[in-house]
Amino acid sequence: MSLLDIRNLSVRFGTADAIPVVDGLDLSVDKGEVLAIVGESGSGKSVTMMALMGLIDAPGIVRADSLRFDGHDMLTLKGRQRRQVVGKDLAMVFQDPMTALNPSYTVGFQIEEVLRQHLGLKGKAARARALQLLERVEIPGAASRLDAYPHQLSGGMSQRVAIAMAIAAEPKLLIADEPTTALDVTIQAQIMDLLLDLQRDEGMGLVLITHDLAVVAETAQRVCVMYAGQAVEIGSVPTLFDAPTHPYTEALLKAVPEQNWGEHSLGAERLATLPGIVPGRYDRPVGCLLSPRCPYAQPHCREQRPALEPHLRGAVRCFYPLNLTAEVA
Amino acid sequence: MSIVLEARELTRHYEISRGLFKANALVRALNGVSFQLEAGKTLAVVGESGCGKSTLARALTLIEEPSSGSLQIAGQEVAGAGKAQHKQLRRDVQMVFQNPYASLNPRQKIGDQLAEPLLINTNLSRAERRERVQSMMQQVGLRPEHYQRYPHMFSGGQRQRIALARAMMLQPKVLVADEPTSALDVSIQAQVLNLFMDLQEQYQTGYVFISHNLAVVRHVADDVLVMYLGRPAEMGPADLIYQRPLHPYTRALLSATPAIHPDPAKPKIKIAGELPNPLDPPPGCAFHKRCPHASERCQVEVPELRLIDARQVACHHAEAIAG
Repeated sequence: MSLLDIRNLSVRFGTADAIPVVDGLDLSVDKGEVLAIVGESGSGKSVTMMALMGLIDAPGIVRADSLRFDGHDMLTLKGRQRRQVVGKDLAMVFQDPMTALNPSYTVGFQIEEVLRQHLGLKGKAARARALQLLERVEIPGAASRLDAYPHQLSGGMSQRVAIAMAIAAEPKLLIADEPTTALDVTIQAQIMDLLLDLQRDEGMGLVLITHDLAVVAETAQRVCVMYAGQAVEIGSVPTLFDAPTHPYTEALLKAVPEQNWGEHSLGAERLATLPGIVPGRYDRPVGCLLSPRCPYAQPHCREQRPALEPHLRGAVRCFYPLNLTAEVA
Repeated sequence: MSIVLEARELTRHYEISRGLFKANALVRALNGVSFQLEAGKTLAVVGESGCGKSTLARALTLIEEPSSGSLQIAGQEVAGAGKAQHKQLRRDVQMVFQNPYASLNPRQKIGDQLAEPLLINTNLSRAERRERVQSMMQQVGLRPEHYQRYPHMFSGGQRQRIALARAMMLQPKVLVADEPTSALDVSIQAQVLNLFMDLQEQYQTGYVFISHNLAVVRHVADDVLVMYLGRPAEMGPADLIYQRPLHPYTRALLSATPAIHPDPAKPKIKIAGELPNPLDPPPGCAFHKRCPHASERCQVEVPELRLIDARQVACHHAEAIAG
């Protein structure tokens, strides 16, 4: 059985008949797998994982047929029991490391807090383990950093500390929500290497939430592409990048500027774009959510919403998927 | 081609107070940058946070005076220019900022914001201003009814179009864009980049395009200036620098940038560590502590820019790396 199993998850804010922010999402993650969730702002990628962590408060409404993590039903888990899972077996790293850490406590104290809560480590043992963790996330001069406050650290260092806290209790699944978006590119490369190293060494599952397709191409094994709250394509890397089956995935890939550093015809070139913007809460089309922007849309697409249909290489939510004809026939 | 912007040894230092009884510290945010920009061309400035990109932008747009060095806009020397000349110079250099949510006045209608540069700098009548604004709005893909709307009614991509329209209202000779697409989603980024290129083609504006995204820079730039801790590391034609980078920092930056179709045969160059503290930069080459090619000479002697293989490189070992 898979480590994480999400069936028909929907998240709404406000009333029960509000337009869902996440709409009928099915997703699973196996032990030791790296899954990336990609999408633009407002596509519901972060909200999905917040729902799993139980971080959605009223007026948010979380519904699902199943939301199972490692044998626990995360929908019904309450209070103390939830706290025993979240932060221990299920940990998260957030986008902005500067606000993810508590500015009033030292780095060492914050890591030791995790160890005390989840592993019952105290005193010298906790401190020794905290030092080990800082060394594991490759912080130079780790011993001197234990007593540092977050404001004394750079963004990259803070993110390393946040990662150290997340892996302190040896989680089975680590969720990283845009872990490198706030960082410079050389630091981004260091942090992604570190996350993948940890994932491999500890055999963790890793869910990487990002808007950066290139980061996904270099790290993930499987990708879920989201658009306006729905998963539109699920597939494996690099197949999905070589032969995208959903028009939205194709458009996203084409919109990425200059992927090779080589020959380049200057000036004349324009990027391929998807016209318009993501539909808002109140202007959702009746049919396929992409239909007003899709270059391949047929009359049928504007009337009916496609379902996420599995195929040989993954799944796609489109009546007229691309790059699939040979296999389907 | 005419040169619209020329900087010579542009320098900007800041004094930082460290308390009552300590001497002020000096941050050399910008340390001798020289370049020329032709009309209709794009110079991209790349580097990581703290490398001096934004300080350069502020100096170029006359927001701040440089500590030393000279700046010429369309052949006119900035230092020593009189009040009237200064006003004209400001017309010729416009800027687009990173965050379109902060750069537009939330209480002013879009039409009025676009007309304001004309109101201040020209003698056009109200009707003429309105006509100019409408035609510019059409060019950047806004509809006429948007004239009466407020910024909060627009998405991030639309706001950046408005910011760009406002900067182009006076048809400046130089446009400085500081990370103009880094707050936007990739499909919107593509639309805005295309708009930048369309407008440049039409008005032959010189662009100084500041970005940390090397893929975006590859798409728009004619020339590239790579900066590290306030100094130029490498500068030259984009084609050359992307195909054969010579400075170890440029090589590391290009290698660290993830690609959609990664080439498994190409080993990644990993550099350890972070940008040094600008209050206390290391002696010699600022990059030597992270550099895989560093030698003893790099620890003591600051490398000067040298012309190698048709571009300028500030590295003692550039020849060996070019090899």
